[in-house]
Amino acid sequence: MECVVQGIIETQYCVIIMHVEALEILLQGLCGVKRERLRIHEICLKNGPNLGTVASEVRLLCDLEQSEPSWTVRHVGGAMRGAGADQISVLVRTIVESKVSKNVLRMFYTLGYKLDNELLRVGFSFRFNYRVANVIVARITVTVSSVNKMMKLHATDEAVPITPGIQIVQVTAPATAENYTDVAAGMQSFCEYLAPLLHLSKPGVSTGVVPTAAAAAASLMSDGGGTPLQ
Amino acid sequence: MPVRWILHWQPSQGSLVNSHILNEISQCVDSFSGVKEGRWKSTLTFYRANVRDQTMSAEFPRDFLGISLMEQPDKYYFIIRGHKLVVEADSSILTIMEKLQSYKSKVALNFEGLQYKLGDFQLRLIKVVPNQAENLRGILMEIEYLPISSIETAKPILEEFIEIWRQVLSKKSLPGQFMRAEPNFAEYGLSDSYSFQHTAVQYAAALAQLIASVQSGQLRS
Repeated sequence: MECVVQGIIETQYCVIIMHVEALEILLQGLCGVKRERLRIHEICLKNGPNLGTVASEVRLLCDLEQSEPSWTVRHVGGAMRGAGADQISVLVRTIVESKVSKNVLRMFYTLGYKLDNELLRVGFSFRFNYRVANVIVARITVTVSSVNKMMKLHATDEAVPITPGIQIVQVTAPATAENYTDVAAGMQSFCEYLAPLLHLSKPGVSTGVVPTAAAAAASLMSDGGGTPLQ
Repeated sequence: MPVRWILHWQPSQGSLVNSHILNEISQCVDSFSGVKEGRWKSTLTFYRANVRDQTMSAEFPRDFLGISLMEQPDKYYFIIRGHKLVVEADSSILTIMEKLQSYKSKVALNFEGLQYKLGDFQLRLIKVVPNQAENLRGILMEIEYLPISSIETAKPILEEFIEIWRQVLSKKSLPGQFMRAEPNFAEYGLSDSYSFQHTAVQYAAALAQLIASVQSGQLRS
């Protein structure tokens, strides 16, 4: 399972202040690691009308940043529900991933799955261990990416942004049934560092952009980032 | 990784595979002064589409196989022979398939046996048995030539080894012989450099031969 929150950030407020650039500087300062470039072709498949007793959906992710593109099958399960889940500000959901060989798309088509949609995520990510009192509480990944659609089937070279000027920021961390409350608390505390630039909330809960973002971005751009976390 | 050939026992017309034949073959391996290296197990699972309307089942592949290999516990292999398709995945793919509920496992067969070392060769004598039963459904033999990973380069060496092996076995006058279903690896998009995907393709091909021989035996009887 994983804990996840997401938000949006404007690519630029005006010609001078780039919010995404400011976020990158902030993350670089907080995480103390180099960013990784992100270019992922995401193919969403659904079972055909005669296959299976329930509707099912699976995502095939092709990492185009690698010299040899690598494929992963990802299944996103339902979100945790109940009073416990409502009390925490991050979404906890089941995720299963499997790295696969490159002909996996052909396999799912042969099995009776149909293409539902595809998109290209382009941006960057930071991966790091978030520590509280020198104890690792979460292995956090922050991705900042624009979502692009393809004008022709699988034509990733001709992708165009779905929402120009807006990038999606997603913060995730793997968790288990035993530790998800600690991981969620750690993530929540990390997200507070990003609060001047963007609102992060459970996926599906729209929070919009942050009014203080322009001032925060200007400040970050001038002082070169925050203080590294422990 | 070393090139491996997988052979299946083809019973003579009118005969069936049985444990006596397996014992006799096992004694032949012992006569080669092979060093026993432990037990061996792989599992092949047949999957069928989960369909609401059974008349629609013909739409979906009926030869969808999943293979787990003891030497690769973190991996799982899928084969659809009719489409010349082999896929390697992390074993977590099984959890994903369960969650999708589109295909369900129908029958599982265990390939289990002993592994022997014979100089540069590794030999495995394998009995094919249903997952929760003991009745023998077939016999396989795997021969691995450890120094070479190129299929083409290893071919004459393995052919020679198998010829010697057949001569030894012929003295037993057993009702059948080892055959090799030679899959065309290039059709599966596989290269000359041997991999576990080649093993999965050979298992599927050998299994198809075993099923064909069982079916023809049933037709005759």
